[in-house]
Amino acid sequence: MSLDEQLAKARAGDLAAFGDLVRAHKRSVYSLALRMLGRRDLAEDMAQEVFMQLHGKLQSIESSAHLAFWLRKVTAHRAIDQLRRRPPVEMTSLNDEAQLVSTVDGSDPLLQRQLRQLVLNLSPPARAVVMLRYQEDLDPLEIAKTLDMPVNTVKSHLKRSLETMRQEILGQVETRREGHST
Amino acid sequence: MKDDLETELRQALRPVAPSEGFEERLLARVTAERSSPPKPSRLKWRRSPATRWLSAGLAASILAAVGIQHHLHAQREREIGLEARRQVIEALRVTEEKLELAYRVVKDQSSSVSDEKPGV
Repeated sequence: MSLDEQLAKARAGDLAAFGDLVRAHKRSVYSLALRMLGRRDLAEDMAQEVFMQLHGKLQSIESSAHLAFWLRKVTAHRAIDQLRRRPPVEMTSLNDEAQLVSTVDGSDPLLQRQLRQLVLNLSPPARAVVMLRYQEDLDPLEIAKTLDMPVNTVKSHLKRSLETMRQEILGQVETRREGHST
Repeated sequence: MKDDLETELRQALRPVAPSEGFEERLLARVTAERSSPPKPSRLKWRRSPATRWLSAGLAASILAAVGIQHHLHAQREREIGLEARRQVIEALRVTEEKLELAYRVVKDQSSSVSDEKPGV
């Protein structure tokens, strides 16, 4: 059954179809919340709230594409609002999360952990832009629509965030080299 | 370097699954919400035309009652003031009469004393 058919059934009150929609989108919503907030418990709570809100708004969701857009938009905006209301979370909380991501492709797990940490150091809007670009694979125009942001601002966030992360990683590599040579 | 970094970012930010039982907990919440009676919505309550008219009527009645009470209170105060003024005038009139009487008595006495002592 296609996502559009599941959506139609969920709108008609079919709880199992709603469960299928949740299953299809839970990783995306939860991961977006996790990388924005930096804590599993907060991310799970937020993902639950987003899906509860979706259940109440099912009648206004027109298609599976609209559903994906709506979920990203609501999750990103909720996360940004929460980060503005509360002080920054502890940055150590994602350390154990790194173990959940397999490294079957041979990429460097240490570097990936550093990158996740660097994403957490970005400002909430920049973090949302980076997440939508590299987790959700959206282009700048789609990100701009999702975050209600001018497309030039999106491009600027992306450019500055990549530059910052590159500098940080190069700095850490240099520090490590100096440590080895002494 | 840019492409490498972007590739690494895509790897680092791959979606991960929430904890076991995420859907079950969510569907349990949805079921519980469906079975609970709907909460009365304040907005709907406010939006009802009958309720709006009732509220407006009630507010108008309260305003009218407060206005009437204020008017009656002011009238009573005015009446008390007038009565006090009347009593003061009456008291002054009585005092004036008494003084007049006393004056006459003193005057009569002094004229009779001067009649008895013509050489003084």
